[in-house]
Amino acid sequence: MATASRTDKSFQPGKSAAHPMVLAAWLRRRYFRTPLNSAISLLGMAFLLFLAYHALQWAVVQAVWISPDGTSAVCRGISGACWAVIQQRWRIIIFGLFPYDEQWRSMFACLVMVATIILSCVPFFWKPLRLSLLWSGGFLLFYALMRGGVFGMPLVQPADWGGLTLTVFLYAAGVLIGMPMAIAMALARRSEMPLVSKMTGGLIDGVRSLPLITILFTAALIFPFVLPGWLQGDKIWRVIIGFALFFAAYQAEIIRSGLQSIPVGQEEAAKALGLTYWQRTSRIMLPQAFRNALPPTINQLVITFKETSLIVIIGFFEILASGNAAYGTGEWSFAYFEVYIFVALVYFAFVFSLSRYGAYLERRMRFGQH
Amino acid sequence: MSEAAVRISGMNKFYGRFQVLRDINLEVASGERIVICGPSGSGKSTLIRCINRLEEHQQGRIDVLGTELNDDISNIDHIRRDVGMVFQHFNLFPHLTVLENCTLAPTLARKVPVDEAEATAMTYLERVRIPEQALKFPGQLSGGQQQRVAIARALCMKPKILLFDEPTSALDPEMIKEVLDVMVELAHDGMTMLCVTHEMGFARQVADRVIFMDKGEIVEEGRPGELFDNPRNERTRTFLSQVLSH
Repeated sequence: MATASRTDKSFQPGKSAAHPMVLAAWLRRRYFRTPLNSAISLLGMAFLLFLAYHALQWAVVQAVWISPDGTSAVCRGISGACWAVIQQRWRIIIFGLFPYDEQWRSMFACLVMVATIILSCVPFFWKPLRLSLLWSGGFLLFYALMRGGVFGMPLVQPADWGGLTLTVFLYAAGVLIGMPMAIAMALARRSEMPLVSKMTGGLIDGVRSLPLITILFTAALIFPFVLPGWLQGDKIWRVIIGFALFFAAYQAEIIRSGLQSIPVGQEEAAKALGLTYWQRTSRIMLPQAFRNALPPTINQLVITFKETSLIVIIGFFEILASGNAAYGTGEWSFAYFEVYIFVALVYFAFVFSLSRYGAYLERRMRFGQH
Repeated sequence: MSEAAVRISGMNKFYGRFQVLRDINLEVASGERIVICGPSGSGKSTLIRCINRLEEHQQGRIDVLGTELNDDISNIDHIRRDVGMVFQHFNLFPHLTVLENCTLAPTLARKVPVDEAEATAMTYLERVRIPEQALKFPGQLSGGQQQRVAIARALCMKPKILLFDEPTSALDPEMIKEVLDVMVELAHDGMTMLCVTHEMGFARQVADRVIFMDKGEIVEEGRPGELFDNPRNERTRTFLSQVLSH
């Protein structure tokens, strides 16, 4: 695959425009062809410059970055952004209610989880054994760090976890549990046994018909009344299972669409070679289904990341709720705009990387199609 | 005479209420080369697809290599490993390299060690004259090359019977010969072959027996010389005049 993709660089507009002469000609052709054309271009540019100037004035030039005394007095009467709120309150945004002295654990746990996610994006780890070792190791380390109670680290209950760390953990666990569920549901819905396919179809359609909030609510607050004690587990795990189920219902249909777009000849050829159902499914059908369904899969992963913010409804302080808490004291209540921009940047960093990774995967997999 | 590789008796097949195959009786000896021809929709593809149970029959009995085909799944997978198939549209696995296409089934279904499977695959890729394409993906090959890979892929399972379902029908004219050449060599090596094809030259050259089908029935069969030069049945005559007239 790698050798082949090197030849695939036929069209690169960015490269050719880099030369100054070419760039000038291109600008003239695109933006200054006629007097009216030039006037509109200049007006538009002036407007953009105006906006950029004011944004820069607010965000950088007039902004206050640090509060030396820890109060918001330094931001009084300024016309720029008060980034001092981030400087003072970032620990709440990133770590939530985690005990102050133990927050280094939350930081390392968050790094462990992010590193695990990044490593599992590297082709070297795309082997079942390596991937499962990586994730078991990642989760074990994360859990030990966060929960404590081992190696002399004080116990911190999941109810006190929060901030970015909680968001990343909830996301990773939800997708990791949800993806196998989605695969199982997609395969079951295609089953030749009517009972299996009908029941799976009912489950998928049922879950999809409910808002995520009601599912989380049920998992967190209603199940304790319904389930026997030994089946309840911690609230965080019930929420993760509910979250995973919701993700799986959508992802199952995405995978099924990927399966259906595979020509029938593929499965026939695999059958004719004497491959069993599981061999055909794991080596022929699913790899092609995921390739076909890559864009909607990335889409679903992106949406799911942002949906983690809904768990605030059952009392978990993920990053957005922690942001609310960060400016929620009387001291900083005027600075909500800055806090939201900061939180938005964190979301953007994650989701944008995910999208770029999806684009990389698409390029990498383009080969080998007929 | 050795034991029959395929024995079909009194077989009927329906799609819903429509009968596609009608009272098929056919016995193929081990090492025999059979060409099946007939107009489109006559059931020739369906017939050979019944032999590796890509299609199920409703009545009658099919025995392949001494095992009866029924609903027993493990039986079917077992039979399929010994019965190779080459498709009209190649059906190579696009996400695997040519070499991986050839080694996948031997390593998974026959549990052959990887290096041994690769050595075997290279032998067969050399036989179909494309060893230099081993690390490419199917999408990078021409139709004729893909079909030769498909033949090599089937051979890697060391099958006892090979089924060909119109292997040259989807090819550009200039690529038909390279595929037929490979098939002729196989025939000379004594492979048991059942080919659905309209290549009458190929049939004359290698077939022990030609079967003519129409409307789901075996209408006539015989040595290629007899059947092509002195067809007894009116329907055979009409078909041959249409195929051979141009």
